Amino acid sequence: MKEEFLLGNGAMAIGLLEAGCQIMTSYPGTPSSEILPEVVRFSKANKLNTSIEWSINEKVAFDNAFAGAISGKRAACCMKMVGLNVAADSFMSAAYIGNIGGLVIISCDDPGPHSSQTEQDSRLMARLAKVPVLDPSSPEEAREMIKFAFELSEEYQVPVLVRPAIRVCHARQNIRYGALESNMTKADFKKEPTRWASTPKFRFVQHKALNEKHVKISEKFNTLSPFNVHTLGKKKSHAFGVITGGVPSSVVKDLLEEYDRKDIPVLKLGAPYPFPEKLADEFMAACDKVLVIEETDTVIEYMLRDKVKTLGRFSGHVPMEGELVPEKIEVILNKALADCKQNPLSDFDGGKEAFALVGELGLPLRKPTLCPGCPHRASFYSIRKAMPKAIFPSDIGCYTLGSNLGVVDTVLDMGAGITMASGFWNAYIQDGVKKPIIATLGDSTFFHSGTTALINAVYNDSRFILVILDNGITAMTGMQPAITQGLRVDGRKGNPVSLEGVVEGCGVKYLKVVDPFDTKNMIKVIKKAAEYVNDPEGGIAVIISRHPCVIGFKDAAIPEKMTVTVSDECTDCGFCRDRFECPALFRNPETEKTEINTVLCAECGVCIQVCPQKAIEKV
Amino acid sequence: MKTINYVLSGLGGQGILFMTKVFATTALNKGFNILGAETHGMAQRGGSVVSHLRIGDARSSLVRAGAADYLISMDESEAYRYLPYLKKGGKLFANAGSKSFPDERVTDYLKQNKIESFAMEASKKAMDLGSPKSTNLAMVAFYAAFGVGPLTADDLRSTVDAMSPAKVKGINLKIFDACYEVGKKISSAN
Repeated sequence: MKEEFLLGNGAMAIGLLEAGCQIMTSYPGTPSSEILPEVVRFSKANKLNTSIEWSINEKVAFDNAFAGAISGKRAACCMKMVGLNVAADSFMSAAYIGNIGGLVIISCDDPGPHSSQTEQDSRLMARLAKVPVLDPSSPEEAREMIKFAFELSEEYQVPVLVRPAIRVCHARQNIRYGALESNMTKADFKKEPTRWASTPKFRFVQHKALNEKHVKISEKFNTLSPFNVHTLGKKKSHAFGVITGGVPSSVVKDLLEEYDRKDIPVLKLGAPYPFPEKLADEFMAACDKVLVIEETDTVIEYMLRDKVKTLGRFSGHVPMEGELVPEKIEVILNKALADCKQNPLSDFDGGKEAFALVGELGLPLRKPTLCPGCPHRASFYSIRKAMPKAIFPSDIGCYTLGSNLGVVDTVLDMGAGITMASGFWNAYIQDGVKKPIIATLGDSTFFHSGTTALINAVYNDSRFILVILDNGITAMTGMQPAITQGLRVDGRKGNPVSLEGVVEGCGVKYLKVVDPFDTKNMIKVIKKAAEYVNDPEGGIAVIISRHPCVIGFKDAAIPEKMTVTVSDECTDCGFCRDRFECPALFRNPETEKTEINTVLCAECGVCIQVCPQKAIEKV
Repeated sequence: MKTINYVLSGLGGQGILFMTKVFATTALNKGFNILGAETHGMAQRGGSVVSHLRIGDARSSLVRAGAADYLISMDESEAYRYLPYLKKGGKLFANAGSKSFPDERVTDYLKQNKIESFAMEASKKAMDLGSPKSTNLAMVAFYAAFGVGPLTADDLRSTVDAMSPAKVKGINLKIFDACYEVGKKISSAN
């Protein structure tokens, strides 16, 4: 037995391998990104034969896992919750068709949100797809639930969704685990076109079968201890009870234990859908009022039939948005208890006085910024310099932080940098206006969802400049290898795909490659590209701005380190801090000049090109 | 055992995850159960970062506001930002100049809530000792000198010893010992 202080994502990796998962696919996205690398680590340590891949996007990941599962193997795919939107088409369809080997989808939610576009609740996606869902409350429970998910998936031949929230994924817990063994089940796809390639007529039959499975699974979930369990005991009547699940259920239990409130019964629903009707009815019948505390939407609350007894989001007791952090839950419980004429846990008000005091201190606002030496910063500087009046649609990745530099006007979803650019073009050209537009997106995002967008824009003769920020890595989510580099997740060699080749294959006739560290050249190339875009015989111009990520490739990203200093010529104009926004540049209020923080400085030397006074110099 | 709650705070890039690991590994070696909550992804890029650590048998990974026993911060502003997490009678350890700390605007609050605060210029200390990026280690050692909580200074030092790669072991232990001494002087004067 080993014991490690593992991330929830690591605990889930253990659960996947203990369950004998043979096929594992994923596309990185916070808070899910560490699951796959942890599967690689444990597979290697135990010499397992697990097939593991970073897929190009979540839909591709899902389909690959699905094919494995209908070949009789245990398969899983994992993603962040907005990734499940990308895979939604497959997910909905697969629920009807079902599987042979267990198929588990892990969709990681981000209440807050901390690193996402939305706070969507994956349990609702499960409801939409009619797929059973499990909602772990801790890393250890996530591990156990994944093992159960495989069994359930095989018993009922239905995909199962596990939705850990960020406080499971990025919680850490001491986890004990033993040796792991390979699952040697062989692929054995049995042809059955009416099932695997079913037409609408058979889809109706499959839908009916799925609904029948639901009744049975709901029955099973009524007695699914310890995932679904209540603490009613022998007492038949309670003034107040709590129904909860997932991460908030841990907080509720901690609070009731801390304040020694054994008088408040709790129903925990770790498997909330298909809804365990009988179990919920039994609990509701024994309580005069029930408070529902769940994240982030109203899945349980919606399913409860007795709305008069129910307190929660609809009654205004639980906020409709934001993470349910422990202090918030304590305040919610206190208010609900008081409203039901019960003793509150405490007179705690959420620390209002302390938070107000902190608010008055005027502490520095710390918005996330691009790293010192980041090539994206140089690209954004040049883009704004070359075409200050353009619309700047951008995309999801580190470079979303280009908003600090005034060069990111829109962020919708993966690939929308390009689709929004063509959309803006269409909206303006209808009025006869040739609007200058420069779209940006990263190499990984381009492969994920950019190619269809680019083909569409070329075909429909949209006109804009697309700058692909190629740093050779998927940086924001933790340095996953890029498709262009030919390195696979487990270190094996893959076949690198040429970014230039794909761009040209999309029908683009104008393609230039630049190094953004040479801002003068990049500005020139952008201006030249604008001429092509405006030429009636022209089209879309693509510029690949290529420079390795300074974190991912370390010294190789800045082969010639350049120590810089600020001379007396500095006029405190603030241009460098404003338009280049490097964390290593700061204003010394005493000297009233810009200075370099040498601890942070990456010594890329690009700021030398930026200063209008030529006051930043090489030492 | 009663759960002991730590909140660690600082800036992206100061090595808060390593700091968390030192505490967690020490607790693990002593046979305690531990839970923690970390900052990853977009939230990590240069912003304010926080790490929660709970030693004991808690279920939820987050420390509740008003429930932290110890707040250890690698930056003065980030110490104030997470002040509401400290419980009555909690202790605050910050990387700050001891003369100007704590900010006079928070002294009443600290007094009312019986919160003791201690400061050391950890970044400066680390820089002087030749390892400017070791503010995290300096703060662990400074805290260790006060002998509060379930982890002793010896426990923490052995973890640093075991976790440090050979190349930096010498300098890491030098920083630990020097900052422990700074803390020791303050704690014995109290």
